[in-house]
Amino acid sequence: MSYEQEGRVLVPPVPRRLGRTAVLVLVLLGAVVLAVGLGSVTIPPGEVLGALWRGITGAELAGNDVIVWQLRLPRVVMGVVVGACLAVCGGAFQGVFRNPLADPYLLGVASGAGLGAAVGIVAGWPRGTIPLAALVTALAAVAVTLGLAREGRRFPPTRLILAGVVVGSVLSALTTFLMLGGEDRARRVLAYTLGDLGFSGWPDIAAVLPYAAVGCGVLMLLGRALDTLQLGDLTARSLGVPVERLRLLVVVAASLATAAAVAYVGIIGFVGLIVPHVVRLVWGASHRVLLPVSALLGGTLLVLADLLARTTPLSQVGVVTTLLGGPFFLWLLRRGRYE
Amino acid sequence: MQKFLPLTVLSLTLGTATLSRAAGATTYPLTLTDDLGRQVTVKAEPRRIVSLLPSDTETLCALGVCDRLVGVDTYSDFPQQVTRLPKVGGLYDPDLEKIVALKPDLVVVSKYGKLEGPLTRAGITVLAVNPETYDEVFSKTLTLGRVVNREAQAKQLVLNMKRDIARVEILTRNATRKPSTYLEIDPAPYSVGPNSFIGVLLAKAGARNIIPASMGDFPKVDPEFIVKANPALMLGLDLKTARSRPGWNSLQAVKTGRVLPIPKELNTILGRPGPRLPEALRGLARLVHPELFR
Repeated sequence: MSYEQEGRVLVPPVPRRLGRTAVLVLVLLGAVVLAVGLGSVTIPPGEVLGALWRGITGAELAGNDVIVWQLRLPRVVMGVVVGACLAVCGGAFQGVFRNPLADPYLLGVASGAGLGAAVGIVAGWPRGTIPLAALVTALAAVAVTLGLAREGRRFPPTRLILAGVVVGSVLSALTTFLMLGGEDRARRVLAYTLGDLGFSGWPDIAAVLPYAAVGCGVLMLLGRALDTLQLGDLTARSLGVPVERLRLLVVVAASLATAAAVAYVGIIGFVGLIVPHVVRLVWGASHRVLLPVSALLGGTLLVLADLLARTTPLSQVGVVTTLLGGPFFLWLLRRGRYE
Repeated sequence: MQKFLPLTVLSLTLGTATLSRAAGATTYPLTLTDDLGRQVTVKAEPRRIVSLLPSDTETLCALGVCDRLVGVDTYSDFPQQVTRLPKVGGLYDPDLEKIVALKPDLVVVSKYGKLEGPLTRAGITVLAVNPETYDEVFSKTLTLGRVVNREAQAKQLVLNMKRDIARVEILTRNATRKPSTYLEIDPAPYSVGPNSFIGVLLAKAGARNIIPASMGDFPKVDPEFIVKANPALMLGLDLKTARSRPGWNSLQAVKTGRVLPIPKELNTILGRPGPRLPEALRGLARLVHPELFR
């Protein structure tokens, strides 16, 4: 369970990996079962199972079935999808920028989505169009960041990060300006930017899933290239990694997945920053392991955080992730040897 | 109290004549504790007042001192005549220089603006008067009355308000059914508890609030809870929004089409614990029991 040493084989033998993956999948499933079973409305386990059965078979929903099948389960599934998504994108960003502070929102995705949502909310557009507006502006924000950071055909990491921070700040300021204009809508915009899985339904999941699957799938396929990139741009190039194209591909894939997540559930902090580090501390830094394991752990973490948000007065999932994730990570940091 | 409502109305109506003479004039300097817990001394009867809270603006005008207002905040828009006054910004963006330039001898502020420090240092008397609960609407009206030497008018105003409220209550109390109601103040969703200002009005309007007192005054509600409660009436959102929410199609209120947005004007008054309280109650009662107002 120690941090991999340089010079040792980065990939552990197969049986150990299979065992570890199995354990993580079981933990995730355990979290899902727990989260579907518990909520602000108490429903006995037998009824929960019945509701799931009736939901899957398409039978008539009765009594508490609606709560389990239409509200709780979609919320939990959305938690798994978004949590996995944020953790994978965070890990990929940290790898591609070789910067431990990178998170999925690094290039202005979140503030772009926030601005789109704020415009929609202040203009009074119908609720269904808000996520689409957020998605469009989130991707536009990343495009602007990429445009500003470009040097010919190259995207130097430092320029990307700086451009992202500035684009993010400008867009956040615009959002704040809009919020100050509409007094009664300010709280709605604020609530949106805080992140919430509250009204996630099956259609929302169907909307997010393609982006998440494509984005995260591409990132996981790039694991080996990201590992090589850790040796430095020059070395990676000499080993045949198309560094610039890789960087662009990672940014586009991660932004696509993150933008979809932000558009539907708002900005949930901390998961994308911390989960990859936890995985590195415990399972080593190879991206081929890091990204899939981050997905499992990110999904688990967000489902449990949302469970606490639903059943305790903490009530906002972002508050839970930070309040509980922060101290846990600091404890891990003291225990582990982080270099 | 509930039992003797008609008597209450009668005594409130009769009492007004005798009471209005019982209140004396305010003597200055007047020292009182304001809503920030500060000891404030009003040196003389205020003649140039700036109000930074719409409910205070409405109360001052209802007390008959509208002509003493020399400036108001961005959101003060009632009565009509205050819209012509200089605007000195809102809670988040007050224009201190503009306020000082108006040479007020009293500035009435909310608890949350943090204006008291700089204005006090500028030598201006600042008083935080910030009604939030149902009972505070009346007590703050009396406070403002004392401050501007309109104590008799304040007592009269409170009596009139209580009488008008009792009149609505007589109607709603005898309603045959009291629909279980979910009132949404924010689509996050936030609702109101029974002890909040709006929650009290909702009960008086003849509705049964699905939110228990234990959840607090302005709780963020888990949608599961609303589905479980299955309200017969929903206020503060439209039918289309309610239908679009996962699992809400099967709810009583959605099936029967009893999902009603709150009209803009009523929504404004509901957010203002001031003299238009009876009007807010009437508006709510009309939504909850349209059959009583035909």
